[in-house]
Amino acid sequence: MTAPALALTDKARPRRASRPLDERLLFGACVLVPVVALVLFFLLPLATIVWRSFTEESGGIGVANYLALFRTPGILRAVGNSLLVGTATTAVCLVLGFAVAYAAQRTRVPGKRFVAAALSLPLLAPSLVLGLGLIFLLGRNGLVSNLLGVRLNIYGFPGLLIANVLYALPQAVLIIQAALRQSDARYYDAAEVMGATRLQQFLGITLPNVKFGLLSAGFVVFTVTITDFGNAVTIGGDFSVLATEIYNQVTGQMKFGIGAAVGILLLLPTGIAVYIERVAAQRQFGTASESALPPVPDRLPMRDIPLFLVTMTLALSITAVVATVVFASVVRLWPYRLDFTTKHYSITLSGGYDPLWTSLGVSAATAGIGTVLLFALVLGLRRMPPGLAKAVYLLAVLPVGVPGLVLGLSYIFAFNLAGTPLHMLYGTALLLALCNFYHYHTQGFLTMVTGMRAVPAALEEAAGCLGGGVLRVLGDVVVPVMIPTLLSVFFFLFMRSMVTLSAIIFLVSPSTNLAAVTVMRLDEAGFVSQAAAFSTCIMAAVAAAALAMRGALALAGRRKAV
Amino acid sequence: MDLQIKNLLKTFDGFVALDRITLSVEEREFVCLLGPSGCGKTTLLRIIAGLMPYDGGELLMGGRDLGTVPARDRGFGIVFQSYSLFPNMTVAQNIGYGLKIRKAPRDRIAARVGELLDLIKLPKAADRYPWQLSGGQQQRVALARALAVDPSLILLDEPLSALDARVRADLRAEIRDVQRRLGIPTIMVTHDQEEALTLADKVVCMNHGLIEQVGTPQDLYLRPRTRFVADFMGSSNLLPTAWVRETMPHLMPGRPDGAENAFEACVRPERIAVTPAPDAEGRVIDLTFLGNIRRLRLSWRGRELLAETNRDPGVEPGAAVDVSVAADACAWVRA
Repeated sequence: MTAPALALTDKARPRRASRPLDERLLFGACVLVPVVALVLFFLLPLATIVWRSFTEESGGIGVANYLALFRTPGILRAVGNSLLVGTATTAVCLVLGFAVAYAAQRTRVPGKRFVAAALSLPLLAPSLVLGLGLIFLLGRNGLVSNLLGVRLNIYGFPGLLIANVLYALPQAVLIIQAALRQSDARYYDAAEVMGATRLQQFLGITLPNVKFGLLSAGFVVFTVTITDFGNAVTIGGDFSVLATEIYNQVTGQMKFGIGAAVGILLLLPTGIAVYIERVAAQRQFGTASESALPPVPDRLPMRDIPLFLVTMTLALSITAVVATVVFASVVRLWPYRLDFTTKHYSITLSGGYDPLWTSLGVSAATAGIGTVLLFALVLGLRRMPPGLAKAVYLLAVLPVGVPGLVLGLSYIFAFNLAGTPLHMLYGTALLLALCNFYHYHTQGFLTMVTGMRAVPAALEEAAGCLGGGVLRVLGDVVVPVMIPTLLSVFFFLFMRSMVTLSAIIFLVSPSTNLAAVTVMRLDEAGFVSQAAAFSTCIMAAVAAAALAMRGALALAGRRKAV
Repeated sequence: MDLQIKNLLKTFDGFVALDRITLSVEEREFVCLLGPSGCGKTTLLRIIAGLMPYDGGELLMGGRDLGTVPARDRGFGIVFQSYSLFPNMTVAQNIGYGLKIRKAPRDRIAARVGELLDLIKLPKAADRYPWQLSGGQQQRVALARALAVDPSLILLDEPLSALDARVRADLRAEIRDVQRRLGIPTIMVTHDQEEALTLADKVVCMNHGLIEQVGTPQDLYLRPRTRFVADFMGSSNLLPTAWVRETMPHLMPGRPDGAENAFEACVRPERIAVTPAPDAEGRVIDLTFLGNIRRLRLSWRGRELLAETNRDPGVEPGAAVDVSVAADACAWVRA
């Protein structure tokens, strides 16, 4: 019975060998290096945090840390608060997110570009900028309190809810809009001819078909909210939530076991979100038809006027909050003395602007290392046996299921162990860069995979058959086609790395302080105008990066066209 | 009920998509709108469905003007090329959707769905979702969905184009069968002349927003009136008047009066008889074996002709052959 199998391997062997050795080595390394890095900087920390969550203070193995959660009053209250604010934010974001996405995708409501631009603002800034802006507007010494002569109390639940909604809304809109895009005008034609009214079509076809999009958006918003650090610190006040509580437990009271246990629990909602997304993708795969025509946006005053008012209000609110931060950074004493000054831009906190330069350096490293590793991985993935490729693919998309907060915690556990070779990375800017990269690994990877799909395999083979070596084919065929993708991934990693707070908050040291952390420290110390000034600098840097990306993409596009 | 279309006009930003179309669809009739893409056939179907407004003319269903009746009140059934089953509903829910909209009682919907599932020969598919069905099965369900509300008119928008050849032939026969049995007037859009020939009672051949010719399939194939119809309904030899007068004078009596260039003779390849003869003036250029028929390219009296035969003509390329065309084998078409 072994004879056929033997014959098969005999047949396969010479074929493999016919590939030149250097080529095999190159593509082997392409996969090996990123995979080893993934294991070291993602799987290992994750395994460590799991391990630590089951390691009791006495040194034994057990669930004592999880039980301790219930006996720590601070934690219990924080969990309750987090669930409350998470649920409320999710509900509000789903309703508003659907309204904005629907208006953009299915109607001809005017001002779509402005709404899209306003919604991209929160992505350019650290989350706490929204909290900061809200305090400037609605806080005790805010604009509204000052104008009305009453003292509003925005700190706590209401402020946190508004800030979280503004922060998470753009992400919800992106997901729901993608779900709304997946449709066919014929569904509506068929329903129309069958006698369905517009309302019946909306309830019977539109809503059920974005069910998975809504679910997925809901879990993403929920996770973003309960793991977000910046807004909770800035505007949360006495309303303690999980993210801040875990930070206190770990960095303040050194209760690592409890920190680890909470970290593991936080994996649950994202895990569910990722699972739902996969199911949805499969379902939609079955229905996607090549000949599908997108539904034609139409006009309907009864629906469009309220939608217009809602979307415009939202867009204006976000713009106002962000603009207020910028404005408050250049006036003497917001909101009482509004004469122009640049004095807040001389930062008095130790280090001055050093953290901004560190952030730029770390972000550049994140983007550079990340783009190279992802490109190599995707390149090698193409030439791997399908089974193995699938396993690597799964590993590469796994990081999306791990919130930054958990990743940051796990890095402490994995790298703050004296006596291990990895310990020397602890406290370095390189580790911050790696942490940021693996935080956003999945999004970068998926973009890269999509880009690589645009490189026709036949083209590569044709170039190969013409006698081009591997490097030649890479340089002449793959890289030129991939340039827009490489640029997108590079700038995406750079921009995320500039503004993220939740992972690196656990890892920064005085010598490697980062910009977003500095904003938080300034705000904590009461230097709100300086915090606004520093935020403005970050936003300017990220906006410049966004502009640079557009410019580079346009340039790449033009060169292609010539 | 019958459908009358009178002088129907439709323009898109000045481009005339339908140029005063007049057409009738009788009770129980199966009408095919045939033409190349962009000829206006789908526009016409969408206007009849009520999915698109029109700019002039009349649309009457059983004498009632449809101009102000919205699509949802017309009571028609429609099937699209891309199946377009609601992905969020099971097969049974899809079929029952129209009845549910009409607030039919639940048991009546269930009974009707069962009946239709039997009709389309998918009795066990009720609880499946569209993505679990093959293309042919999905299109059957789409047909059942259109039939569920007892439509007064069925509209089929290239329903077979997305299917592979075998399934297409099967479903074609089924559509024909169901339509005959239920006797619902039906309009189908297609660009496939074979489909139109086998299915239709009446073929409407369209080009550039105009109707070129309306008639039975036999009419359009055997007696095309324009060069476009002759070309579109299968292959043909289109021969100029001067050449016919010189070489086949026996075809001339059928020619309508008109300028020399106004008409051409259309002779179908299977109506050209080819017989081997040692010193004949025709030559075989080449010969293609197509299974049921053989196609020959001939050179005869200064022209190249296309002939088809279902028997072995017993010739090789280069052989000398006699060529003859019967007097009734020719249709004169407007050039």
